[in-house]
Amino acid sequence: MELPILPTSIIGSYPKPWWLTKYYDLYKKRKISENEFQEAVRDASTAIVREHETAGVDVPWDGEMGREEMVEYFAAKIRGFIFRGSVRVWGNFYFNKASIVGPLEYRGPLVIKEFKLVEHVTAREIVKVPITGPYTIAEWSFNEYYDSKEEVARELAKILNKELKILEAEGAKFVQIDEPALTTHPDEIEWAVDAVNEAIKGLNLNIGLHVCYSDYNLLAKYFDDLNVTQFALEFANRKFREIDFLKRLGDKELGFGVIDVHNPRIETSDEVARNIRKVFEYVRPEKVYINPDCGMKLLSRETAREKLCNMVKGTKIVRKELERRGKVSIQFEAKI
Amino acid sequence: MEVVTALIGGLPRPVGLAKAIEKYNTGKLSQEKLEQEYRKHTVKAYEKLKEIGISIVTDPLYRWDDIFNPLIGFIEGIEVNGLYKFYENNFFYRSPVVKEQLSLRDNPIIEWTETNREILEDVYPDATLKQVLPGPVSLAFHSLDEYYNDRTALARDYGRKVLLPLIRKLKNIVDIIELHEPALCIDDKSEYLGILNEIVEKSPLKAWIVTYFGEPKVDGIEKLNAVINVDLVESKGEILEKLNGEVGIGIVNSRETRLEDVKRLREILSSLSNRFSTIYITPNTLLDFLPESVAFRKLQLLKKLVGGG
Repeated sequence: MELPILPTSIIGSYPKPWWLTKYYDLYKKRKISENEFQEAVRDASTAIVREHETAGVDVPWDGEMGREEMVEYFAAKIRGFIFRGSVRVWGNFYFNKASIVGPLEYRGPLVIKEFKLVEHVTAREIVKVPITGPYTIAEWSFNEYYDSKEEVARELAKILNKELKILEAEGAKFVQIDEPALTTHPDEIEWAVDAVNEAIKGLNLNIGLHVCYSDYNLLAKYFDDLNVTQFALEFANRKFREIDFLKRLGDKELGFGVIDVHNPRIETSDEVARNIRKVFEYVRPEKVYINPDCGMKLLSRETAREKLCNMVKGTKIVRKELERRGKVSIQFEAKI
Repeated sequence: MEVVTALIGGLPRPVGLAKAIEKYNTGKLSQEKLEQEYRKHTVKAYEKLKEIGISIVTDPLYRWDDIFNPLIGFIEGIEVNGLYKFYENNFFYRSPVVKEQLSLRDNPIIEWTETNREILEDVYPDATLKQVLPGPVSLAFHSLDEYYNDRTALARDYGRKVLLPLIRKLKNIVDIIELHEPALCIDDKSEYLGILNEIVEKSPLKAWIVTYFGEPKVDGIEKLNAVINVDLVESKGEILEKLNGEVGIGIVNSRETRLEDVKRLREILSSLSNRFSTIYITPNTLLDFLPESVAFRKLQLLKKLVGGG
């Protein structure tokens, strides 16, 4: 399977259409049925996949239209979690932080339905399936049952591994484990890395690991230990500074974040191209994917769309330069 | 020895209030209606604290996004910057960027505190009221300093030019001033002792210094004429060996929903009982990290410890 050099992708979330947020409200108030709500989610997913494709994204996803929050979504589907109420993340933004009150057990597919839908509606050959990783789910949950957070993460790793194996059997080719919390506690990172590896054990997939707003020098010490094929990291928000840690990347791929999702200013295509060129000092173009820093859901939809369009346009400028050096495409194949 | 239940920090902002604030921010709710919402929720909070039996209460901080905001928006010389992670929590604060010399601008904090006092007098007149403010060291520690280039000098000016003028105005409105100093568990500059001492000595109000997420590292903190609140959930409380008189003990975990075993908490408390004249039992840190209903259940645990609830 072939992809253009510097394949463009997304990280995960994307602004929900205004009407879908209304459907979420109606659903929570039980004013619409499960079927009606799921139909709205499917329609929104289709619209967002198209929007990504129209922007020129090579490896799309549906912007997590069926997920309100990256941990809550999984906690609601895994036995052992309950929700005791929302906690504030900042200002007036809350998330429904789950509590673990019993043994964690896989009780059915987590993302298979999402994957099947996106695979069905997309015109692209490859889609990226983002799944929140075991450490982040453990770190962003309350633990009332297990003796330690490590035990929680290891149980979650087994559950995610089961899901990933089904996903592979269903034809997924590219999965991204989201671990924004991975470097939060430096004294826990050894076993957190083990938990990620446990989650992806025995798979023949391309597996990215997304870590953002984190200590990348600490993460880089574990580049070799993490059995993933790609690290999808955030660079625009840190203004592409202090990226020497990339020297430790070895032969793994880099998902290079060139769009700041915390700033509504729309990057120009020239600016994107200029920033992409910076990474070649550290990573061969054949090993670089281009993506935004992180999920885009906090932006307005119009801003997110324009940012994605310019990300692709900027990438195309650099592709032309690479074309002159005979670098046109890369082979996409299962690598683990 | 006396054991007294006390709140530190505020209470989790109710989701209903957050929605009202968002409506106000987008022009869908008037200032008057928003003020009614603040009042309604503050009344409910004090009624609940009375029902549980918490003796020393605080401003519930419903107008505060985090321990620094909105205060830093009322300081001349500061710009309010982007979001930063508050220690290792999935909770973010807006950081102060220090551009010029600091001074306190006119602000509504006194008026807000007067309103809280008035509500408390109506709802729960027996309670003691503390006003929560960020401490000078934590303010400096969490600032992006583009002017002083010296954290000690910055902390000193936060104390002299911002906190003390504000604390003086709070005299006769609240009973105690509560300074949040989690940074004392990370940064151990000896100069901080003098900065804190200046505030404590010049404050017309009794001072209560709250430390959390570890053990305070600044030598001599026990010499301050203030109640020191120690996080006994996330530290061994080694500093307790040096403290005497009145002490605050953060004994219930505000970062986990699991409710502690009261018997176990009693054992901890009794191991300390002969060393202090008064032990204030509190959550170990801000209750913002918990869902609102669980936060109140944690406070009920405190009451059970002193034989009620």
